Amino acid sequence: MLEFYVMLAEGLRVLIAAGVCWLNFVTIDVFFGLPKEGGVSGATAIAQEVEKGGGALHGGYMLGNIVSSPDASAGTLLASCAVYAAGIPGGLVMALLVYIGNRICYDPGYAGTTGCITATFIVYAFTQIGFLATDFIAGMVIAILTIQGLSHVHASRLLATLWRWRSA
Amino acid sequence: MIALAVVAIIAALEAVRVVAERNTMRKLPYLNVVSFAITGSLMLLLPHPLTILACAAYFVGSTLESNAIASTWSGGIRKHE
Amino acid sequence: MNELYAILFGFITLLGGVTTAIYRDPFDKLISLSLLAAGIFPFIVDRGYVDVAAAAALIAPLGTIFTLMVCRRRARDA
Repeated sequence: MLEFYVMLAEGLRVLIAAGVCWLNFVTIDVFFGLPKEGGVSGATAIAQEVEKGGGALHGGYMLGNIVSSPDASAGTLLASCAVYAAGIPGGLVMALLVYIGNRICYDPGYAGTTGCITATFIVYAFTQIGFLATDFIAGMVIAILTIQGLSHVHASRLLATLWRWRSA
Repeated sequence: MIALAVVAIIAALEAVRVVAERNTMRKLPYLNVVSFAITGSLMLLLPHPLTILACAAYFVGSTLESNAIASTWSGGIRKHE
Repeated sequence: MNELYAILFGFITLLGGVTTAIYRDPFDKLISLSLLAAGIFPFIVDRGYVDVAAAAALIAPLGTIFTLMVCRRRARDA
């Protein structure tokens, strides 16, 4: 019976961590204007195919940009991995690696590096109040599943709505 | 360890969706979820500071691969028309 | 590694390999090939060969990029 409660608490922590990660990376990506246009021609091609399948174009641009360069979602995942292994110094080293990866993929790299640094401090703060860094790794995978993995049509419409608020 | 189970099950589920999707460009977001899940599982399997390097190398490598596939696909189709 | 995880990651690898053989379109083949590569890394890291995993993770996309140059040339010729 005690084991059941421990598993229930862990599942609850993973869901809360998923919500925090979702808010972090969607806020930073929309703030840095990822849904505005495709960064490379591949991102534009993905956006056009998503629009052809019934989605919204600006949300499709954001899906394409997430696929074709490491942005704030990758920064959040890699920062929680690094905090799990090596604490805050690991997170800052990981921000440098994410910046290098962004430069390799022809991207300015502001969104990825900013997301990595903010996620480092957010994950560290949550580890001080009883959360584990592993909860944030699983939570980030759940968060990216809701954006990219379940339904491109609904996700792109949601992101286009957020972009309309941001640009208004 | 519920975290590793969640990550591994999501990876297998999304691999099935990559195979089931017919449109080539719409496969790539599902493939991106698979690479997120694999990156997470690498760190959960072996928590060691050097694994940071392996995670970053794997993630940047798979992103570069998706980027190259998508860019070549769009360029090839445009020349074809 | 637990048997559950070995089965799940082995399933990803097997699915990638079978669909790489089945698909006709070269881009679909390359996407399945990267699925095959994705399933292998947990097995490498689980044994502790982190440096091997980092090197393989950088070599696999380079192979894909060189294969894509051939695809692009075919598309231009056709």
